[in-house]
Amino acid sequence: MPPEVEGTGAVDPFLPYLATIRSMVDLTPDVKLMGLELDDPAIRDSFDYRPGQFAFLSAFGVGEAPFGLTSVAQRREGLEFAVRRVGTVTSALQELEPGDKVGLRGPFGNHFPLEDYRGKNIIIIGGGIGMAPLRPVINTILDRRADYGDMLIINGARSPQDLAFAPEFDTWAQAPRTRLELTVDRGDEGWTGSVDLVPTVVGKLKPSSQNAVAITCGPPIMIRFTLAGLRELGFADHQIVTTLESKMKCGLGKCARCNVGDKYICQDGPVFSFEQISRFVEQF
Amino acid sequence: MSQFMSGEDLRSWLGNLAQERTLIAPIRSDGLVLFGAVSRAEEIALDYDNTLLSPKGHLFPATDTLFTIERREGGIELVPASVEGEAAIFGIRPCDALGLRVLDRPFLAEPADALYQQRRARTALIGLSCHKASPECFCTSLGTGPDDPSNVDILLTGAGEGYIVQAVTERGKALLATAPLVEAEVTPPPAPSPTPVPTEDIAEVARRAFDVPYWARLADRCIHCNLCAYVCPVCYCFDIRDHSYMGRMERMRTWESCQSPGFSRIAGGYEPRDTKGARLRQRFYHKLLYMPEQFGVIGCTGCGRCVTSCPVNIDIREVISEMQRLGASSAS
Repeated sequence: MPPEVEGTGAVDPFLPYLATIRSMVDLTPDVKLMGLELDDPAIRDSFDYRPGQFAFLSAFGVGEAPFGLTSVAQRREGLEFAVRRVGTVTSALQELEPGDKVGLRGPFGNHFPLEDYRGKNIIIIGGGIGMAPLRPVINTILDRRADYGDMLIINGARSPQDLAFAPEFDTWAQAPRTRLELTVDRGDEGWTGSVDLVPTVVGKLKPSSQNAVAITCGPPIMIRFTLAGLRELGFADHQIVTTLESKMKCGLGKCARCNVGDKYICQDGPVFSFEQISRFVEQF
Repeated sequence: MSQFMSGEDLRSWLGNLAQERTLIAPIRSDGLVLFGAVSRAEEIALDYDNTLLSPKGHLFPATDTLFTIERREGGIELVPASVEGEAAIFGIRPCDALGLRVLDRPFLAEPADALYQQRRARTALIGLSCHKASPECFCTSLGTGPDDPSNVDILLTGAGEGYIVQAVTERGKALLATAPLVEAEVTPPPAPSPTPVPTEDIAEVARRAFDVPYWARLADRCIHCNLCAYVCPVCYCFDIRDHSYMGRMERMRTWESCQSPGFSRIAGGYEPRDTKGARLRQRFYHKLLYMPEQFGVIGCTGCGRCVTSCPVNIDIREVISEMQRLGASSAS
């Protein structure tokens, strides 16, 4: 437990919990799935989170960065993060091995309101590492399959080997009333699937907007064209939900790095519908 | 009748105060007046309009260690920074005292920023009314004024050969318990009148002045030196990074500015505010629209430091006036 701040009864919100790496699995050439266990048993037992929430991971001596939690709390299989090597902190995290210590602060932010989506058809549209925060959405729906309508998963990546969650594709594709569509920007010799951009696949598959919610995450350019495509298919902005990536340093609504209009992405988000986003003064 | 302290008695009271707590006061250093720790009252400068920097750095330092990281037999131990002892800031102007009140909004919001909270609780504010308004001052347009006692524990106002003393809070009264005060019939000189700036309904106006070419034009000359943020008593954006040196690891917090390219850049290189115009607009909108929306306070105290410091003469007073014009004209 982080020590109490003298005389206030509060804990220092910048002090991370200590956690031990239990597993490191290569998902793609630049993405590793990191499995963590919190060191303090009391915190481990009480640490609860929802799909869409995120946490900061520390590579001690190098720094801290925010990552979406990609595991499902109810499965009790430890905390998982998909770490893509893009900078100094992610590179340092990737060099760690099972048994090494990291820091963790969180969970932060709001979550996908899956309870509101019961009975609806779900369209999941993820590009690249953007699948990481969508994976717990998919797995939560699969765990409560009867509560939801049809699920269409569209997952794109630069190349077949960049499809991060390939080990789970069979489980997803074989689940009842679930369809998995994979697409890549560039195929390779073994690839027999679709070679198309994600928004193009959305346009081809034409999912119905009737009683549906589309949940998307990916590079900004993919989101922009996916949004346009979904609107063309009759999706209203409140039926399209995304999780916004943003520069963040604290997760506490203090550092103001993620300030957009009267919102802090870290506290008011990261999950927003496009109806909410369209009301932001500043459009990203 | 007012409580009164002579200039000589003030120095002896401050000298005693410096013995029992850390006393931060204006000092003259290489021709600049800056807040610093003093051990003797003689070091304190009293003949200044305002300090080059606000005293914000004594509660929210430009670089601050949040905790140190110790490696122990394969394990890691995090040792949080601690705040020790009591402090007082003497000579804080009403604009800067309001600035701390504004900083309280983000930093004391739950969960409170531990270091700021402890420093704030342990620091008494002994304000000094302004005897004159600098040309850049416009505090009266932002809800405070040259002799506003509302954000300090004690307010001193120069009058004749000494100071009229107002004990504003209980803490202020306790600090004055040993002060050589006398009852005196003194009239303070008239408070100076800074030139007003049209801040009325600025948040409403801002909503209508967002999408205009003015911001790109104004920002064209910005060299993103970040001085405006560093001298501002309210700017609170920060960065966090780890610092390793000679085997010592610390997690540090440092001031950051929304004018820095890369302030909002995310992993993979996407830059949401990729123009100087978008970044400069963020500075003024955070202060004039978003902070009022989030916290109910304007993020400016009218101290005028950014006006004085900006090397390319970007002047928040002109910006506010221009926003009034743009906001009004696009509404009609």
